Amino acid sequence: MTSWGADLGLRCWRALVAGLLVFWLVFLLAPVVVAVAVSFTATEYPVFPPQGLSLRWYANALSTSWFQESLATSALVALASTAISIVLGTTAAYVLSRRAAPGRAALEFILMSPLIIPSVAIGFALFHLVLQLGMQKLSFLNLVIAHAVVTVPFTLRPAWSSLIGANRAIEEAAQSLGATPWVAFWQVILPTILPAIVAGAIIAFTFSFNDVTVAVFLVGPTTKTLPVELLAQIEYTPDPTPAAITAIIMAITFVFFLIVERTVGLDIFARTE
Amino acid sequence: MSPKPTQLLALLLAAIVTAVVLVPSAIILFESVLSPERKLSLDAYGTVLGSRVVRQATWRTFEIALSVTALCILAGYPLAFAIAASGSRARSLLITCVIFPFLLSAVVRAFGWNIVIGETGLLNRILLGLGLIATPLQLLHTEIAIILGETHLLCPYMVLSLLAVIGRIDPNLEAAAQSLGASPPGVFFRVMVPMTLPGLFAGTLLVFALAMTAFATPWLLGGTRSPVLTSLLYRYAFVSFDMPRALAIAGILLILGIAFLILHRAVTQRSAMTQEHAA
Repeated sequence: MTSWGADLGLRCWRALVAGLLVFWLVFLLAPVVVAVAVSFTATEYPVFPPQGLSLRWYANALSTSWFQESLATSALVALASTAISIVLGTTAAYVLSRRAAPGRAALEFILMSPLIIPSVAIGFALFHLVLQLGMQKLSFLNLVIAHAVVTVPFTLRPAWSSLIGANRAIEEAAQSLGATPWVAFWQVILPTILPAIVAGAIIAFTFSFNDVTVAVFLVGPTTKTLPVELLAQIEYTPDPTPAAITAIIMAITFVFFLIVERTVGLDIFARTE
Repeated sequence: MSPKPTQLLALLLAAIVTAVVLVPSAIILFESVLSPERKLSLDAYGTVLGSRVVRQATWRTFEIALSVTALCILAGYPLAFAIAASGSRARSLLITCVIFPFLLSAVVRAFGWNIVIGETGLLNRILLGLGLIATPLQLLHTEIAIILGETHLLCPYMVLSLLAVIGRIDPNLEAAAQSLGASPPGVFFRVMVPMTLPGLFAGTLLVFALAMTAFATPWLLGGTRSPVLTSLLYRYAFVSFDMPRALAIAGILLILGIAFLILHRAVTQRSAMTQEHAA
């Protein structure tokens, strides 16, 4: 009797756990799947499930000038800011991994501060500064600088943990064999931490390419990034063109996601702190 | 002896991040407590908090952040434990489901929710089809829409915070509790949940702080009918050009956000330290 009751209880518990899991997985994937599905509809308005099958909204999106321009802006901003962020993050990781660097805790706090200050406050604060300095015309430069610095924690962290794991002895060996610290860094350390740098770079690029919270405060009339432009256009575009653009952004992000998965593995996200 | 190159580099890096992130934030905090006569005063905050719109938005922001945090906890546990318990193939599939949406732009995800919960959207069609409702629900531009969107936006943070501590639990513990007669729910609530409290605290603080300061999701899903603090900030800065009010709201967001995230760092570092002691 008791074991039968316990058995039933166990089954109910398992069913509850499985049900919750399925519910949350559907919840996570629903908006992604629905947006992609809707982009293939043949109708004049977004509808799910899509009616008919058509690529007309993709053709429409690709020929829309605001999409072409903002995609180019986003790609350029993301490339330039990631390049700067890699240099800053890797250098920072190198400095932080030195054994007895003075003020290390303070430096770490400063470098990680973009994660402590809310993005919306960073965006507004930079907008305010840009106004005071009269730099509104330099919106492309402003976007690049903002994204480069805000993504430093992403490029710093993987490189830092890789440097801690790297064998310090090989660097010392290289130096005792006559390599200058500079040469030892380029020829011995850099190759060992390269996978971590690539992973950090991809995360930084993805952040910049998808960011709206910081960028919305810094874009100019002719330099709008894709998510910011999309944010503004969604309200004024009743047809499924935004769905097609959404699907294109998802596809681009998915390619980067796969690169991370295949190179360093997804566990890079799982160890956050 | 001249300073070492690494020290110069450290100074340079600190200066760059300080100039781009810390100084501008300090400037808005400072300007938010200046009166037009450049005297220290909290008038701007008084004006802002005296306005009904701002008070409602502040209350709404808190309400949403609380609901989102609660939902993220409900989502975080099943997802994190499922990831921790599965084999490598199922594990990477589950992590994909959690991480991929996490990488997507908030705009893209909010747009997806727009279609799911719109008047003729998927959710309404299902509920109408099942006969649960007679007329379509008006979810868009309500708090419920913002809560759904932000839960989707932030639950990966909860999953990752929980995963970080679940990985450190000794796998023998579960078997030991079961062999001593604990039922699976008993193992979960009396052994696993207490062991994951540091991750739960960390995740809760992180999700709450990010929920209060999220921008694109409430902007798109809440519309002008349900403004939160961040949408008011944007409106004051770009639509009504009311800089003193924008500064005060930015000040409130900055202080709240920093307070929660510093608490979060304290919690995670403490749990990392106790971990080092145990090791």
